[in-house]
Amino acid sequence: MSERTIAVDYLARVEGEGSLHVKLREGRVDHVELRIFEPPRFFEAFLRGRMYSEAPDITARICGICPVAYQMSSVHAMEQAYGISVGGSLRALRRLLYCGEWIESHALHVYLLHAPDFLGYPDAIHLAKDDPETVKRGLALKKAGNALMQLLGGREIHPINVRVGGFYRTPSLEELESLRPVLESALEIAVETVHFAAGLPFPEAEEEYEFVALQHPDEYAMNEGEVVSSRGLRIPASRFDEAFTRAPVGYTSALQSVRKEGTPYLVGPLARYALNGRHLSPRARSVAREVGLEPVVRNPFRSILVRGVELVYACEEALRIIAAYQPPDAPWVEPTGKFHGGVGAAATEAPRGLLYHRYRLAPDGKIETADIVAPTAQNQRRIEEDVRHVVERSLALDDARLTDLCERAIRNHDPCISCATHFLRLEVERT
Amino acid sequence: MTSPATESAGTVGPLVIGVGNEVRGDDAAGLQVARDLRPLVGDRVRIVESLGGVAELLDLWDGRGRVYLIDAVRSGGAAGKWLRLRVGAEPLPSSLAGTSTHGLSIASAVALGQQLGRMPTHLVVYGIEAVRFDAGSPLSPEVLGAVRQVTVALADELGRVGTPTPVAVRRS
Repeated sequence: MSERTIAVDYLARVEGEGSLHVKLREGRVDHVELRIFEPPRFFEAFLRGRMYSEAPDITARICGICPVAYQMSSVHAMEQAYGISVGGSLRALRRLLYCGEWIESHALHVYLLHAPDFLGYPDAIHLAKDDPETVKRGLALKKAGNALMQLLGGREIHPINVRVGGFYRTPSLEELESLRPVLESALEIAVETVHFAAGLPFPEAEEEYEFVALQHPDEYAMNEGEVVSSRGLRIPASRFDEAFTRAPVGYTSALQSVRKEGTPYLVGPLARYALNGRHLSPRARSVAREVGLEPVVRNPFRSILVRGVELVYACEEALRIIAAYQPPDAPWVEPTGKFHGGVGAAATEAPRGLLYHRYRLAPDGKIETADIVAPTAQNQRRIEEDVRHVVERSLALDDARLTDLCERAIRNHDPCISCATHFLRLEVERT
Repeated sequence: MTSPATESAGTVGPLVIGVGNEVRGDDAAGLQVARDLRPLVGDRVRIVESLGGVAELLDLWDGRGRVYLIDAVRSGGAAGKWLRLRVGAEPLPSSLAGTSTHGLSIASAVALGQQLGRMPTHLVVYGIEAVRFDAGSPLSPEVLGAVRQVTVALADELGRVGTPTPVAVRRS
């Protein structure tokens, strides 16, 4: 019997620890295990007994790359529990803050993590040696996102200005206007990014995804919407648990999220673009057309292009929000009436995909239980399928090349372990 | 809008960057050093807290003179062991590469900064060997001791103006 094992060691990282194990038997893929340890598991225990108002600041520290997403899902969940409605300029400011995080996170992934895969470099440092201008472009784009996060969030990383009901402090019109030049410049860099990505060589792939994303009737969903899928699912975000389930699997401490039927699904830019593309801004749509991006992208290697289109959108949307901004009467909305305890649940669109939070609160506002479903936990099973198909298509490759392709298949979806996979060591066993 | 709780004033002179995540156990070591250092060195030293992202670090230290960075590391050494390293033109030693707990490592930031010509003229890294990263856990006793020692060493290096105070035990 012929066995071939591709094993990639662990590398400890705060945003998640991951490894990959692929076993082939008689020339066929026997099993694929993407092992991820999701930090939110531990944060959920940490949240118990804390006041509802602490959740945004605590959950913001779960992920250094997307703190706004954790803040946003937590405040929306708490506001649902308390019956608070946030609209007008406060709602727009939240969306603007989210634009900052999308720009920051996508720029990091496109230029520092993903581009080296296509250009034949082990990492962005080697890419910078030969092509510093490309890396500088990514850093400049990221800096525009950081500027938004710093102004609205109070800090670039781990924003502290977000609270249940709104913000501790809202910016003046002048402060927002001061960001216009950097965002206009970022928009041009984002357009350039799409054209840059379009020139990259893409491996052939075609995956049958069930895409899952928030969908809003009037806008490219970030903070609000129904949970929809490409196979007909449509439910309020607060009823997420009715359609999806999480279960532990033996080889990872993460709870793998699947549809109730047991099938994997995909969240993230590919899903958003496929389900909500009609709500993209005119410039984002035209740039997508210029580079021949199909309305539904099923080749995961082309996700770098979709992130580029979302970068264009986020810059344009940020400029639109700034142009329409009227400072709100008050920086936050207070809960009204007596609170009797209850459950609040909400989902928002993190850069990597749908992020679901559910809290059960005691009458005094203390958190009794917390449940956080991160995008990477939702994509884990689907990424394993991608890896399986990559291996099946590429069995003739030697171990080094096959491992490289497997790691690329993982990085396509920007999991929290994607930085680590640049440093993973390969171990091959042959029998 | 910068939080006064996380940054000391000063646009010229030395820059101290405390790197870490406040609610992940020993990962907060660099942040704690930054906080304990403030009363010892006064306003002439700019002190910031950072998660240690590559782009963020390049923005912080680009064009600066003297920069001191404190971070928790995991290189297989004994818990609480710490080291001081002057970063030159060479990459950081392999014992530090990839051991940072904050996304792309500090070593990556140094390497990228060197490639792009975005380094301070003088960079010193203090690394504290960490052991516990559970959400919500306090600094381990070994790391707490190292925080105290590094704070004093760095204050001496910067030129102390105050006296050391006991290291605060963080919320558990």
